[in-house]
Amino acid sequence: MRPVARTAKSQSLVSCGVCHLLVRKLPGSPEPPGRCPRCGAALHSRKPDSIARTWALVIAALFFYVPANVLPITKVTSLGVVQLDTILSGVIYFIHSGMWPIALVIFIASIFVPLLKLLILMLLLVSVQRGIRWRPKDRTRLYRITEAIGRWSMVDIFVVTILVALVHLGALANIEAQAGAAFFAAVVVITIFAAMSFDPRLIWDVKESDDEPQHTP
Amino acid sequence: MNPNTPPEPEAADLPEPVIRSGKRSVSIVWLVPLAALLIGGWLIYKAISEKGPEITISFKTAEGLEAGKTKIKCRDVEIGQVQEITLSRDLNQVIVKAQLIKEAAAFLSENSRFWVVRARVSAGSVTGLSTVFSGAYIDIDPGAPGKKVLHFEGLEEPPIVTTWEKGRHFDLLAERKGSLDVGSPVYYRQIEVGRVAAYSLAPDGTGITFKVFIKDPYPAFVRQNTRFWNASGIDLKLDARGIQVNTESFVSMLVGGVAFDVIEKFGPPAAAADPEAGSFRLFPDRQAAEEETYTVQNYYLLHFTSSVRGLSPGAPVEFRGVQVGHVVDFRLDFDVNRNTFDIPVLIAIQPERIHAIGGEDQPRQSVKRMEAFVEKGLRAQLRSGSIVTGQQYVALEFFPDEPPTKLGREGRYPSIPTLPTQFEEIGTKLNRLIAKLEDLPIDQIGSDLRDAVQGAKRITNAPELMDAVKSLTAAVNEIQGLTAELRTQTAPEITAALQQAQAALAASAASLQSDSPLQIRMKIALEELAASARALRVLADFLERQPGSLLRGKETNQ
Repeated sequence: MRPVARTAKSQSLVSCGVCHLLVRKLPGSPEPPGRCPRCGAALHSRKPDSIARTWALVIAALFFYVPANVLPITKVTSLGVVQLDTILSGVIYFIHSGMWPIALVIFIASIFVPLLKLLILMLLLVSVQRGIRWRPKDRTRLYRITEAIGRWSMVDIFVVTILVALVHLGALANIEAQAGAAFFAAVVVITIFAAMSFDPRLIWDVKESDDEPQHTP
Repeated sequence: MNPNTPPEPEAADLPEPVIRSGKRSVSIVWLVPLAALLIGGWLIYKAISEKGPEITISFKTAEGLEAGKTKIKCRDVEIGQVQEITLSRDLNQVIVKAQLIKEAAAFLSENSRFWVVRARVSAGSVTGLSTVFSGAYIDIDPGAPGKKVLHFEGLEEPPIVTTWEKGRHFDLLAERKGSLDVGSPVYYRQIEVGRVAAYSLAPDGTGITFKVFIKDPYPAFVRQNTRFWNASGIDLKLDARGIQVNTESFVSMLVGGVAFDVIEKFGPPAAAADPEAGSFRLFPDRQAAEEETYTVQNYYLLHFTSSVRGLSPGAPVEFRGVQVGHVVDFRLDFDVNRNTFDIPVLIAIQPERIHAIGGEDQPRQSVKRMEAFVEKGLRAQLRSGSIVTGQQYVALEFFPDEPPTKLGREGRYPSIPTLPTQFEEIGTKLNRLIAKLEDLPIDQIGSDLRDAVQGAKRITNAPELMDAVKSLTAAVNEIQGLTAELRTQTAPEITAALQQAQAALAASAASLQSDSPLQIRMKIALEELAASARALRVLADFLERQPGSLLRGKETNQ
């Protein structure tokens, strides 16, 4: 008899997400199964509405992604010359100035990563919804990357805030944050929440249903 | 405990969850994309609703313009931005595509004008210095409302007159452009009140029409009898009062300018000029503006044989020192048959310069009058107006002693007889004098004189003269002797005689005095004589009445 991967869910057990108390799920009990008898936290064997919530947040992030890239993110005034810069125009500016590393950092952190995250999340969501069994391990790895990398997108916002705080030379030079920065921050934050609300165990649930022996009552 | 599901042995003693009833609706998390959708939708709506017209402007050059950066401003308020700059197909122009704000659509029309504001330095003004740092921008003059168009021809130079400047345009006709240019200032009493907006060649090519713009409230000072003149450069006047420099301003010296005013001598300011009143004449300078304009010109020919050096077209023709006309032209004629040179000078006389008193003088009749004047001895003469400059002028004067002639006529023009110049006259007189002097037999006179002198010398050195002198001295000596004799002998006798005569005279004077005995006696004798005369008269009367008494004696009463 080969060892069967057993999950708490298949054993009608629920682990409390807060105090890790293992609770037995009563048959016929509604989903979600209720509250932890020890700490009172809501019990759920999987993140509740994980897919729906993630979709919602991903869609919201996509909505915000457009103005974040179209609207100017900074307004640089130097010697009376006003220059409004979007993220992309900033990258192009640095490329023209020959500052390749900075351009690369901004590009990766501000354009590539948020987009990549959203795409990965959508891929995962679609794969879970379709019950695709393709390489669950790799997909889990992708999810981990998403989680790990997400917060780095805030670098751009930090740069802007630091510049705004530092460069206050009146008419000589002045930097102001513009609406684009707010939308970009919203994209980053919402994407982080989206990644958080996705339950990677869903990737494996499909596999489990395959592994589960069809036991007849 | 559900019997259907046998509990797992490990899980059998696990605690059960607390069940709470409660229906779950749609997850609240969907509010997030909803909010995002709303915000995004609002942004899109705003972008679309605020999207103004997209226009294209063509310029000759895109100097200073940058796609995505150059602003379009109206009175320094941003109303748009240049999106892209492309070349036209024929490469003659650049096409600037610009996105304007929504509000701009209201005032865009076919009359709108666009120009690039750059730093411009021209004589008289420096503009657009702010663009040195901020970069060039495109300025707009909305213009009058009109047809809506989306393509504009950009101006290369800022327009002189913009829509929001209130004022009026006037047309000035000039013979030549001079140093005036578009943008040249217009002055009224040295205040800049407007600018030259445009100029164009008259259709028939006979002059230049300037369009000047005069800002409010100054058009009121343009009267019907206002005169405009070109105030360019320095007006130097050299007259009896010294040097006068008239200039409107330093700027007008550099870039030219127009000035206008009501010239005092043409009467008080008339009513304000009607803008449809047609055009004003632009005089070349103030002096010309102060001169009367004359409509009637009568041309006459003068013939001079002597040099007319110093005479120039425009030189005055004066009668008794008052200008009555000017010299139009002159040339040199050579008579092939007679082998002589002649200089015909064409003069124009403006009879309107002469005020007729006691009746209306028809200027057209002045030629007839001139005939009469010539018969009375009117002649033309070249005179030097200024010894310093050597300028000559034509003087008309009456010379009653001149032989009478008639007004000639050559082709189209009557000709006034001329007299040689005063210098010429002096010259001829001098010549005559010199000729007479030359005719004098100076050698003869000299030789005669010499002979005379020699003769005199001979006479003085002659021995006869010496003898004569000697005998003369002897005679003189004798006379001296005689006089001495007279002094010593004759003189005392004469004095004695004189003394006696004096005594006699004194005696006679004494006897003639009124209280002298002689006088008294004479008086008595005269009284006696008077008494005897009365007695005689009585006797005569008596004898007259009684002549017989001589015979019969005195009768007693009968």
